[in-house]
Amino acid sequence: MSLNAAAACRVFDMQRFSIHDGPGIRTTVFLEGCSLRCAWCQNPEAFQSGAADELSPEAVLAEVLKDRDFYAVSGGGMTVSGGEPLLHLAPVRALLEEAKRHGIDTCVQTSGAVPKGNIEAVLGLVDLFHFDLKHMDPRRHRALTGAGNGRILQNAAFLMERGASVQFRMPLVPGINDDPEHLAELARFVRSLGAKELRVLPYHRLYLDKYTALGMVAPLRGTEAPSAERLAWAAAELGRHGVAVVLEG
Amino acid sequence: MATLHPKNAAQKERLLTATHWLCIERARYYTEAHRETEGMHPSLRAARALQRVLEKMTVRIEADELLVGNRSSKLIAPPIAPERGDFSFVFEHLLEEMKRFGYRIEADDERVLLDEIIPYWKGRTVRDAKIASLRAHGLTSELDLSPSELRRKLRAFGPGPLLRLVAEDEVPGSTLLDRALRGGRLAARLPGLLKAVRAGAGDNVKGRGRCTDTQAHIVPGHKNVLRLGFSGIQAEARARLGSAKTEGERAFLEGVALSCDAMRAFSERFASLARAQSEETRDAGRRAELERIAERCGRVPWLPPRSFVEAVQSLWFTQNAAIISYGAGSGITPGRVDQLLFPYYQADLARGELTREHALRLLEELIIKLNNNVIIWPNLGGVKLNHLGSDVENITLGGLDASGEDATNELSSLFIEAITHTSLATTASFRISKKSPKEFVRKVVAIHRETSSPAFLNDETAIAAMVRDGYSVEAAREYCLVGCVEPSGNGDSYGATGGSKVYFPTALDLVFNRGRTTFFGAQDGVDTGDPTRFESFEALLSAFYRQLESMVGWVAEATDLRDAIWAERFHNPLISSTIDGCIERGRDMTAGGARYNFGSVGGGGLGTAVDSLAAIRAFVFERKQVTMGELCEALSTDFRGREDLRRTLLGGPRFGNDLPEVDALARELVARFCAMVTARKTAFGGHYKASLISYGLNVYEGALEPATPDGRHAGEPLSNSMSPSNGAERRGPTAAMSSVARIDHTLIGYGNSLNMRLPVGILKTEKGVESVAHLVRGYFDKGGFHVQFNAVDTATLLAAQQRPQDYGDLIVRVSGYSAYFTRLGRRIQDDIIGRSELAPCR
Repeated sequence: MSLNAAAACRVFDMQRFSIHDGPGIRTTVFLEGCSLRCAWCQNPEAFQSGAADELSPEAVLAEVLKDRDFYAVSGGGMTVSGGEPLLHLAPVRALLEEAKRHGIDTCVQTSGAVPKGNIEAVLGLVDLFHFDLKHMDPRRHRALTGAGNGRILQNAAFLMERGASVQFRMPLVPGINDDPEHLAELARFVRSLGAKELRVLPYHRLYLDKYTALGMVAPLRGTEAPSAERLAWAAAELGRHGVAVVLEG
Repeated sequence: MATLHPKNAAQKERLLTATHWLCIERARYYTEAHRETEGMHPSLRAARALQRVLEKMTVRIEADELLVGNRSSKLIAPPIAPERGDFSFVFEHLLEEMKRFGYRIEADDERVLLDEIIPYWKGRTVRDAKIASLRAHGLTSELDLSPSELRRKLRAFGPGPLLRLVAEDEVPGSTLLDRALRGGRLAARLPGLLKAVRAGAGDNVKGRGRCTDTQAHIVPGHKNVLRLGFSGIQAEARARLGSAKTEGERAFLEGVALSCDAMRAFSERFASLARAQSEETRDAGRRAELERIAERCGRVPWLPPRSFVEAVQSLWFTQNAAIISYGAGSGITPGRVDQLLFPYYQADLARGELTREHALRLLEELIIKLNNNVIIWPNLGGVKLNHLGSDVENITLGGLDASGEDATNELSSLFIEAITHTSLATTASFRISKKSPKEFVRKVVAIHRETSSPAFLNDETAIAAMVRDGYSVEAAREYCLVGCVEPSGNGDSYGATGGSKVYFPTALDLVFNRGRTTFFGAQDGVDTGDPTRFESFEALLSAFYRQLESMVGWVAEATDLRDAIWAERFHNPLISSTIDGCIERGRDMTAGGARYNFGSVGGGGLGTAVDSLAAIRAFVFERKQVTMGELCEALSTDFRGREDLRRTLLGGPRFGNDLPEVDALARELVARFCAMVTARKTAFGGHYKASLISYGLNVYEGALEPATPDGRHAGEPLSNSMSPSNGAERRGPTAAMSSVARIDHTLIGYGNSLNMRLPVGILKTEKGVESVAHLVRGYFDKGGFHVQFNAVDTATLLAAQQRPQDYGDLIVRVSGYSAYFTRLGRRIQDDIIGRSELAPCR
């Protein structure tokens, strides 16, 4: 079968029974390629070209549909993650269209670091966006991820204006983005968007083995996971600024 | 977390720290009465024997007890039924082993057991009669130990597995001295062990099948005892005597009447003891309790209960006496306890005579009592089953009522609390239907946070299977779980749900060796031709099914012969009197008295067999990477020098990964097996039902099975129950469930079990708990019958092996029942650790 190269999904992993990537029981499809290089990235294999399988959207969906009965009972579906799934528009759009054709609930996990047009093009195909807010300060953002945050914040606002269903998420990394000033600014921004809730993903170290296996060096290999006290404190800080926190993971 | 009532905490502590004894009272008095009743009808003999036991055995009331009723002279001691003969060879040859593994016996008792009781029964037991009958019908398989055969076995198994079969189960020491000492001990024990292995082989049926001595595995008619009392049951039997036509009917009905009197006398003994203790105690609170106990024991189970506490006491008396009457190791189950007790609970609450707290205390105590059971099992092949809770007294909770409405009630939830508080190895089966409240299912999942014990059963599938087998839909909806996971009628059925079994991988062994099993070596079966000359996979598959069909036939025939022995010689009018149909028909349950009658043939090692067939198809016939000749040679030498081939085979397509073409093999195998089993009729109008459950015995059974084409080494455990082989699941729980659900579970009348381990840490979050509930619901929507989970991570299990003293209360699900991990044999422990642990969820 010749694959339409533009619409081929470069899939580096598919995980069934994902329960932390959106509502219910889901199958998460990890697409290769990312516009950021976050210091704490937990899927470094997403940068590597050649590690992924090239699959047609139909083939990906055939795998996703296998757990259809479990989505039905749990309100779950397909989550597209990465990497940055919206980086290459044609394949992700074809995949989402295919899912919708089968009535599958869709969630897209994005960094927002993509052209606004890419987001606009999938708006009607996505039931829920997981949108990461990593740092509010453009300079710090660039230092930590390799890119500024201007486009990201604009895209966040754009999604809210268009009435999309969005969950904003923040990876809480000790010493990186958990200071009171940053939390206050983040809360202000979230509220300015009209959102009331922020999902906090505490940093953890479980991904470090992946770097070793890939022969890479993890920039944050010395950073510890936040303590329960620190997490509670951060949640209270955000709460004080009017944002309800949901702890994930 | 709420905690156990302090009086129950004390009882639990006593249970966990008590010594396990062998008590011979049941054996002695039964035998005494039996000697005196030669020539009488078996129903009368059994009633007389029961009467003697219940009159003379020690009665005990323990400190803090509100519910009374013991089953032997020591706190923990299984009542021994010497007439069955299933444990006699263990006492004769392995008593010293049993002492080493935790049992004690008084010196006098040991003498009486070995010099008087067991010799009396020689040639008279069910077992002796069964072995003679099987021999006479050419259904046994002799262990061929000729030099050439021994060489062949040694080649196929290597010394390791054969030694492990008899070697002791202890943490291996590594020093030379340790090994020398162990070797010395083994040499000293070997003669006894070998005798025991030979005697144990008496359960073997031609084709390496199994037919044990015990039937039972039933739910007594607790509903009838609660409704009528034994006084009412006796009145029914007497009324029926008027129309009795045969001597047999009369004898049975008289046996029932005697048994009812025996029950009354038994509870009166507790009433007297309670009164005596109340006069002695200085504690005013305890005195009042004992006086109330005395009053209750004067009423129930003779009369119908008037209150919740009387109902629980009545239920316990009947359950306890049923087990005494049959002896330990009989799988006698209380049934739907939440349904049985709810009317009394509701009425008492309404009258203001009971508080929720007091009801909970009583249920906690009931749960503790239901965990006070052990079976006598020789410690062979690293299989050690003599721990608390092993003689499963499964309770059934939740589910639909006879009219098809959800019957989950407040007591179902109260039982969950009691199970959680007691945190013992309670075997509890939760019936889940589409109508079950979501909150109830969530609560059942949450039990795993405290203890690994609940089993989930799918009402829709179980009821469909019962109806297919001939139950009315109303009766089917009342099903209870017996033994591990076998659905059976609620006090209306007799069906020995366990004990007879074949192993699917053996059918392959018979194909490869042209009708001989590697372990036994005799020409058991048909010669299905030279395996190296099969031209197609279909030809091999057809030979496989020919062998399997013979195996099923032999085991069913053997079971018929065994059942005839019970029907002719060993009745149980006590249990029969409670079961629908027996009084009406004037017949004992062993002789077709019950309304519904069935037999069972189980199948073992499904995953191993399916993976083996899939590997043969893939590597021999499709990819042509290996010839049948090479494969046969490698299997007969346990892959010696062919590790490359073994690795290839291990990497083949496996059952449990949602691979339609592999799952189709499993679907066909189960469907054909069930058809073979169901086609066999029993003596009393029913048919045989299939089951796929292992009770942890897959470890022991695997020890007798040579290497298999899935890359499994000789002597390694077979796959358990209906689960994929250990380590085969690579795509997570939804994929495994999808595979297993491709099988039509409604064909499997006596149930199947899917054992899974949960992802590490999943229950820490509410989302995780909810997701497990959804996983169960999704599996059931696909038609799955049963699933149970272990929520303990590998690190904890390994630590518990290293430092058992720190993990005395760690409970795991073995297969259809729960157990203390550290009290299991090493090889069962390893098997549980080997079950796929799912990666943490991202």
